Amino acid sequence: MSDATFASRRLSPRTRLALGVFARYATIIGLIGMIAAFSALSPRAFPTLINFTNVLNQASLAVIISGGLTLAVIVGELDLSVGFAASLHGVLVMGLIVSNQLPVPVAILIVLLLGALIGYVNGLIVTRLKVNSVIATLGVGTILTGLAFAYASGVPIVAGVPEAFLQISLGRWFFGIPNNILIMAVVLGALWVLVERTSIGQEIQAVGGNPAAARLAGIDVARIKTLGFVISGVCAALTGVLLSSRLGSGTTNAADSYLMTAFAAVFLGSATLRDGEFHIVGTLIGALIIAFGFNGLNIFGAPTFSQYIFQGAILIVAVGLSSLGRIIAES
Amino acid sequence: MLTHSDTRSEAEAAALPLVSVRGLSKSFGGVQALKGVSIDIAPGEVHGLVGANGAGKSTLIRTLAGLVLPDAGEIRVDGRPVSLPGPSAATDLGMNFIHQELAFVPGMTVLENITLGIPKPTRFGMVDWKATAREIAPIAARVGITAPLSANVSGLSTAENWLVNICRALVRKARLIVMDEPTASLSAGEVEKLFTIVEDLSASGVAVLYVSHRLDEILRLCDRVTVFRDGRSVAGFERVDLAHGRLVEAIVGGKVERLESRHEQASATEVVLSVRNVASLPMVRDVSLDLHRGEVLGIGGLVGAGRSELARLIFGADRLDAGSMTLDGRPYAPRSPSAAVKAGVGLVPEERRTEALILSKSIAFNALLANLEKAVKSPLLPLIDGQKRKTHAEVIIRDLAIKTDSVDKAVGKLSGGNQQKVVIGRWLLKKPRVLILDEPTRGVDIGARAEIHRLIRKLADDGMAVIVVSSDPEELPDLSDRVLVMAEGRIVRELSGGAISRTAIIEASYQAKEQSGKR
Repeated sequence: MSDATFASRRLSPRTRLALGVFARYATIIGLIGMIAAFSALSPRAFPTLINFTNVLNQASLAVIISGGLTLAVIVGELDLSVGFAASLHGVLVMGLIVSNQLPVPVAILIVLLLGALIGYVNGLIVTRLKVNSVIATLGVGTILTGLAFAYASGVPIVAGVPEAFLQISLGRWFFGIPNNILIMAVVLGALWVLVERTSIGQEIQAVGGNPAAARLAGIDVARIKTLGFVISGVCAALTGVLLSSRLGSGTTNAADSYLMTAFAAVFLGSATLRDGEFHIVGTLIGALIIAFGFNGLNIFGAPTFSQYIFQGAILIVAVGLSSLGRIIAES
Repeated sequence: MLTHSDTRSEAEAAALPLVSVRGLSKSFGGVQALKGVSIDIAPGEVHGLVGANGAGKSTLIRTLAGLVLPDAGEIRVDGRPVSLPGPSAATDLGMNFIHQELAFVPGMTVLENITLGIPKPTRFGMVDWKATAREIAPIAARVGITAPLSANVSGLSTAENWLVNICRALVRKARLIVMDEPTASLSAGEVEKLFTIVEDLSASGVAVLYVSHRLDEILRLCDRVTVFRDGRSVAGFERVDLAHGRLVEAIVGGKVERLESRHEQASATEVVLSVRNVASLPMVRDVSLDLHRGEVLGIGGLVGAGRSELARLIFGADRLDAGSMTLDGRPYAPRSPSAAVKAGVGLVPEERRTEALILSKSIAFNALLANLEKAVKSPLLPLIDGQKRKTHAEVIIRDLAIKTDSVDKAVGKLSGGNQQKVVIGRWLLKKPRVLILDEPTRGVDIGARAEIHRLIRKLADDGMAVIVVSSDPEELPDLSDRVLVMAEGRIVRELSGGAISRTAIIEASYQAKEQSGKR
């Protein structure tokens, strides 16, 4: 049908409005409701500045890796390599510092560049070889796991970690705020400005919105998609570094589970405020929901298995809300 | 399998319309799409429905199809009031809908698609496809399906898809078939075939609601015509009263200013784009042309002649198999659209919704997509400057008379003509050396069409070199300084000045086709 204004689904205006409000604000209402519920149930342990700082600190790594993943999904691709990549980077940065005696900043720089390179390779495989991004990044991620095992022989690197490296994650260099929270804020702020306020960000959004139209408007779609993977790769690398610093060791599978967390956060985010569109602020809110949920489960002493159930359920709810938003946007 | 309620006498049937709509109203958000529309469709008549984009035609159809619930008004079928809460209710009442975007299950056969969702004869609990085929074959033959019923629908042409859809409607015992812009992507021969089928349907008592922007088709085919304007049914014409001029006046609500034909010798000016022996097999073979500064070069021909492919080739969207091009005398071989844009070439693609616009994004976003360098604070600091962006977008809205209340409105919410203006506005701002417009007024109402033509003319007058690709033979004579007619991937005729006419273009398209057929 040539006319654009007419609804493709039959929803009464009132239902549409109600559903729209629900889909847009469900995640935020959920977050506030969860905080309120936990506060009421555990008024001493939960609603304290120390606990909130702790939750944010815990969430910071997930937020960074999710923020990077957001760029990949905005350009219309999935990056399943982020968790495995972060694990490899964690092992590698430890190895470079402990075994190769490299200065800490040099080691970190090398790992971040490697993260960019991995993202670039993902981008090339997807844009040049036209491999579906799920398959491409799953393959690359599996290879990276193999490389991590080969590098560390499966043994965690723990001895001889310099204090300077540990202090990155443990320190509070400004105003007593944990460094991780500051790093998270800087990274997320930079990503937000990039997507929402720069000309490259407009191209990123255009490629995500309609790649065919973006191409015929003169945008280099392959370049923009590759950029999405590169940013995702760098954020995964940074997450790996910070995780090693926090754990004080380089363990081969340490960051794998961030994959699930990141996807849940990104999809929860797409259901937030905008109708099924991926965006940075949404991802932050998504990651906080997961972090507060885990924290609550911990405080109430819920068994470990419940965290998996929580995370799986959240992922499904998130994708459901996200597609509900899109249906409403199209109607 | 076809049953019509011909139990009633002729007189009774004439008195009682098949479908009768009274005072139908519907608003979406703040927009009143239908304001008390009334229309009667008699059994077996071909009823034309015309009106500008946004006049309410689509909403009426969607209401009849059970896709939209009306706010007020009444729909009667056979004199009985009906409610249409969903598509199946419409089908049960014998109303079938064929849209521009034809929906089939790819990978399934013609027969499977025709009988999708209706009960089929079974043997031992399984579908008896042989018996099904026996039942369907006569109906398929009647609408002129030549492809075997066992053929995969993915391999069918657009015209064949239409036939399969009509067959599908007949199998469902259709008493009314609604056709929305049926000829938009059919060739002239296929159009003739469709007309024959429509006339045959009408003769057998099936009513057809024929929605089209092409008035010559309406004039030729329809027994009665209803004109919609701004959500109202403003005029009804019986066949004897039908005339092109009166229809246009009813659609526009006044006299239309016709663009002055202008055929000056633009070829006196310098050559901007020179194309030599290019090919992109199998659609473009050995094409050469020169495009001059300030010239509108029309490219005509039948669907499938290679016109759009030539446009895509020049724009770097398709690969060049042979030949060479120069732009302003320098070698020009774009490997991608982004390279073409950098070199100074722009394209307004054929399908604006899928190839040109990001529908969920704002007018400003879409208009500035090829002009992001104009919207940033400085080249070194590529931050979007909201004020600059807004100013540019407002200039486009003003210059192109785009109807909107804000630059932030989502492009998907605009009518077809206004969407097309946003795409043209994008290139207006960019000011490329060469602008290619592929079917610039397809699906656009008459008023917007005249405005778009004026704009194209003005761009050329300001020095741009313009190529207009069009399958509408009426469009090129109004607009072009020169017309190249393509057939089978080659340029078969060059027309200029007074030689450009609708008939000359059509004749050249067909003559070439016959000649190459003999070869």
